[in-house]
Amino acid sequence: MSVVVVGPLLVALFTAIVTLALRRWGPVQRAASLVGSILYLGVVALLIRDVRADEAGYLVYQLSNWQAPYGISLVADDLAVLMLALTAVVSLLAVVFSARYIDEEGQRLSYHPLYHLMVAGITGSFLTGDIFNLFVWFEVMLMSSYVLVVFYSGPEETRAALHYAFLNLIGSAVMLLAIGGLYATTGTLNMADMAQRLGAPGQYGVDLPAVLGLSALLLSVFALKAGIVPFQFWVPDAYRAAPAPVAAMLAGVVKKVGVYAIIRLYFTVFAAASLPNLSGFGGGGELGFLAFFGPVFFLMALGSVVVGGFGAVARKDLDGLLAYSSIGQVGFIVLPLAVAASVPADSSIRTLGVVAALVYSVNHGIAKSLLFFVSGAIQGAVGSVDFEDLGGLAEREPLLSGTFFVGALALIGIPPLSGFFGKLLVFDAAVQAQSALALGVSLGGAILTIAYFTLAWSRGFWSEPGMAVEGTRADRSLVGVAAVLAVLIVVFGVGFGPLLELAEDAAVAATETQGYIDAVLGGEA
Amino acid sequence: MTQVVLALVLGLLFALGTFLVLRRDVVRVVWGVTIISQSANVYLVTMGGLSGTVPILGHGVPGAPGAVTDPLVQALVLTAIVIGFGTTAFALVLTYRVYEEHGTIDLHDLGRAADAEAEADGGVDR
Repeated sequence: MSVVVVGPLLVALFTAIVTLALRRWGPVQRAASLVGSILYLGVVALLIRDVRADEAGYLVYQLSNWQAPYGISLVADDLAVLMLALTAVVSLLAVVFSARYIDEEGQRLSYHPLYHLMVAGITGSFLTGDIFNLFVWFEVMLMSSYVLVVFYSGPEETRAALHYAFLNLIGSAVMLLAIGGLYATTGTLNMADMAQRLGAPGQYGVDLPAVLGLSALLLSVFALKAGIVPFQFWVPDAYRAAPAPVAAMLAGVVKKVGVYAIIRLYFTVFAAASLPNLSGFGGGGELGFLAFFGPVFFLMALGSVVVGGFGAVARKDLDGLLAYSSIGQVGFIVLPLAVAASVPADSSIRTLGVVAALVYSVNHGIAKSLLFFVSGAIQGAVGSVDFEDLGGLAEREPLLSGTFFVGALALIGIPPLSGFFGKLLVFDAAVQAQSALALGVSLGGAILTIAYFTLAWSRGFWSEPGMAVEGTRADRSLVGVAAVLAVLIVVFGVGFGPLLELAEDAAVAATETQGYIDAVLGGEA
Repeated sequence: MTQVVLALVLGLLFALGTFLVLRRDVVRVVWGVTIISQSANVYLVTMGGLSGTVPILGHGVPGAPGAVTDPLVQALVLTAIVIGFGTTAFALVLTYRVYEEHGTIDLHDLGRAADAEAEADGGVDR
């Protein structure tokens, strides 16, 4: 029983309440928001230290001391804390950015409480060990993000929020259906308990084909949250409509909640089950659940890379390009998952695939937030992010352009930046699994990434200065925030060891179903 | 028997919700989403099983002590209903805001405005 597990949740909720109470005193509210984010980072650091120090690597908190599976469990393992660390870093920088970027009136309009509620929702989704509770935290996160997307409430924003909100409302109903069905077929909502029951279906009377169908239904919801093709429609409009720091959070962290849910549920929970082979493609014997999802993941990854890549190349504004790019980049996260799902359970390639997905997630989270910050700083200075109005920024704003360059290179995957290792691991997983298809898709995606960032660079930063760029000057503190992220990218790239180590442990935690079951259900902890 | 009736009702509710979601009028879409999420709640209750007595034991309720209805689904549905209230309220406010900004709540017209804008931007998507 470890109380520190609830720490990040409490800090985020408390900050939301305090900032709401301090709404009338602008500077004080901003300071409180900032202090809350720093505290959040501190508590997450504490949690990481404790999880790393624990020999099994699992910290479990049973709410109200009701032992699982009857109560709600909060579980912090290496996978959850890795995601929390990403959240803490990006959200702190986004708060610093917002303090300058969002105008006075906007700050008064409950920006900070909403922001911290969103962080609380994200934190809860990472920590919970109960699928209905996951639904609740998703709703907390989504409700705040709807309002943050519509924040400027102009024509374009309301339309984007309409699509975003309605698609997610329908997604929530579908999620509820899938959860109800899973409860009816497995008789439990606790993830660890569910994994245990799926592992011994005969003993608990679980109808596996029904569970497979329901888990596929659930996948569509997570894919919607993560913006994976074919559920990506809302992404470009919503990211363009949201204020830059919110877009950074949406692309950098909220998207990863969907990715995390896929890894947690499909690799930890559903991986425990196997079915008689029904695929109709020959081959007898048992078929793992994951083997069924492998091709599905692959098609989603392929679709994301193609749609995102070509969409980004065709865009005429920086925000739109970044939004489509994040659809394409999420393909690079799902692709190694597809490889990992397709190989046998005891293979080392499964862990490698998950490691690749996690490292790429962290890299994308940091680099894409950086790029949205840069785009926000440009919007603040020039008043537009259309390539037509830009140009010549490299000369006028060398530091800002430099940070953009670092972020773009990180996503392209140039050593010694963190993106290089992300890409390398994706390629490595594809090569080791001897999957020519996966290798082809990642190569094609890499080329598209180079293409659209080259376009963005030459149109926005080199070429002749546009009319609007003349005589403008970006806010120094905004540029500073972006520069901090650029430094982080270089630091993670040069000192890659610790990050890789954490990602490897996280991947082991994600694929070791038995360890998870023991930690959550294992009597008095 | 109850099972069959509920299944039919659920089917009808989902069909009605889907029909409304596909309308052009945003308010009807809100209605559709609300009906779909409410039918998801009814489905949740159904999934918990309908047999058994009230889940309170030892008050002279007839029937074996083991044969109680699962109380957990009812707790889940309560949570889902509360969340549903919040999201419906937000959806309605958002609809009003869309009307204020665009002067219409016809999704077709909203889409046309978006297309015109994209044309002006020279964008390719949508």
